[in-house]
Amino acid sequence: MIGEWKDPRKEFGKAVSEIAEEKEDIVVISTDSGFSSGFKEFAGKHPDRYVECGIMEQGATGIAAGLACVGKTPVFCAIAPFVTCRNYEMFRNDLGYMRQNVKIVGRNGGFTYSDLGATHHSLEDFAITRMIPGVTVLCPQDPVEIRQACKAMLEMEGPVYMRIGNPKIPVLFEEDSPFAIGKGRLIRDGGDVTILSTGTVTAEVIKAAELLEAKGIHARVIGLGTVCPLDEEMILKAARETGRIVTVEEHYAQGGLGTMVAEFLSETEPVKVKKIGVPKEYATSGPYEDLIRYYGLDSESIAETVEKFCRE
Amino acid sequence: MADRIAKLELEAARCRRNVVRMVEASHHGHLGGAMSCLDIVTALYFDKMHVGPEYIQDPERDRFILSAGHKCMAQYAVMAERGIFDKSILDTYGGFKTKIPGHPDMYKLPGVEANTGALGHGLAIATGMALGLRNDGKKAGVYVVMGDGELAEGSNWEAAAAAAHFGLSNLTLFVDYNGLQISGRVEDVMNFMPVTEKFRSFGWSVREIDGNNMAEVVETLDALPFQQGKPSMILARTVKSKGISFAEGKAAYHYWTPSGDELETAIRETEDAIKRLEAVCGEVQA
Ligand SMILES: Cc1ncc(C[n+]2csc(CCOP(=O)(O)OP(=O)(O)O)c2C)c(N)n1
Ligand SMILES: [Mg+2]
Repeated sequence: MIGEWKDPRKEFGKAVSEIAEEKEDIVVISTDSGFSSGFKEFAGKHPDRYVECGIMEQGATGIAAGLACVGKTPVFCAIAPFVTCRNYEMFRNDLGYMRQNVKIVGRNGGFTYSDLGATHHSLEDFAITRMIPGVTVLCPQDPVEIRQACKAMLEMEGPVYMRIGNPKIPVLFEEDSPFAIGKGRLIRDGGDVTILSTGTVTAEVIKAAELLEAKGIHARVIGLGTVCPLDEEMILKAARETGRIVTVEEHYAQGGLGTMVAEFLSETEPVKVKKIGVPKEYATSGPYEDLIRYYGLDSESIAETVEKFCRE
Repeated sequence: MADRIAKLELEAARCRRNVVRMVEASHHGHLGGAMSCLDIVTALYFDKMHVGPEYIQDPERDRFILSAGHKCMAQYAVMAERGIFDKSILDTYGGFKTKIPGHPDMYKLPGVEANTGALGHGLAIATGMALGLRNDGKKAGVYVVMGDGELAEGSNWEAAAAAAHFGLSNLTLFVDYNGLQISGRVEDVMNFMPVTEKFRSFGWSVREIDGNNMAEVVETLDALPFQQGKPSMILARTVKSKGISFAEGKAAYHYWTPSGDELETAIRETEDAIKRLEAVCGEVQA
């Protein structure tokens, strides 16, 4: 299941650059951020389609909207909080309200910029981007899904927010596995509990499910490469069949995937939902693995939380 | 004066060694921007500002705002050398729950005045501080260090307009003009030249200096405020990664992950600089 480890930023940059060879309307927007987003080669090859704005994320969001208004497909990637929090009103009005075909990519998402502190963490990006009407929120779980998500977001019309990370991540999925925006993946079947996961923490969830299996708990694992819109059909079915839902995300436990799932199920199939995520605080700093463990997002902590939840 | 400059140069050399010490602990860090502004930060903490371990809560203290928070190794190096926190903390750089994270945090490290790191916040915060202090009749000054790439953040220009509008002569801004940002030369990435004319037209009083020349830095600080009723801006021409020969003037060392014998070279060069300046200080005193 767990294969080669790859750099998510390079995978992303490569995927978009390849598509851009065919789709000439694609322009890459940089705010002193493009080379670190995997676009160094693209910038050299297509200087006319690489728009360097300097460190002005708010202005660049408006510039992207303007480019989209005249037929371009801008892809704007920078550090996640600076393309979600900082430019929020430009995102809401110029991309959302104006329904422009701009793809915003927050890299170093979650707290993968672990040692740089809370200014560089993004633990509320799902919560705020999903509240903009018409915005699709993606959070691919492995290098294969990053490529699939790039292709899918560039095939659809409309504003997208996609979050990727920073450290190398393992391949989890087959190259030719199906992917569609708004559809989850059944990664593992089970009848005792369903764990819904998004982003790279899915690798930990898969390991957690194995630990649970050894303890006699059969967990279903559903990976959600799309946070918004939710795969309501798959989630509803899981709630009905397993009766218990756990959500796991490298995001505040409030406002993100867990909240969305609980909102949905409270009106359709009110089962118990356990939300695993980061408590709403300014996360501490240090090595990434230390933060993952500290906030209970490693496989052992996840398994422990799920086990307790199942025995409640 | 010669004595004063030589002493400050020696302090700056010791602070450069402290920066390298932090990278020894973490094996990574924003080297370039820390080293370019380090002479200015040293002069502020050792010669200009009313700050120190005993004044951390003093309402009359001067305020230092590192708007380009990624240059924090410069601030930590200087604060430690100045005795504001224990030097052993330098060895926790990059570590779990450190008091000195990759961007400064006022609740983790007493003496830090603002939680910067997202570029383009410091000048507005400093403008508010300067306005409040001035209106309370306090003598305290507010000093900001900003990057040149950072100039592109529009929020800076909102603050620049406001500070001039409020006539804040207690506000001083250093733009650390090392000419480089992550993607290369500032003038290629997003050109803000002529920076001095822009600030002048916004209503600031402006000077341009060599920001790695201690005598020029001190002379400039002595002349503050340049003009009553106006905030002061100093365009400080600096060299990115100043003091580390293999990294000077190279964009690639914005963020340094030492390879090969780079760390040993950096340790040797910063220690040699200290020895050289200790000898100079001895001569000046004798
Ligand atoms: C709002 C925001 N956008 C982007 C960044 C990422 N970033 C950190 S340093 C840097 C380049 C800064 O260049 P400059 O201001 O010239 O600083 P220096 O050369 O002194 O390092 C960038 C883009 C950030 N910290 N904050
Ligand atoms: Mg610079």
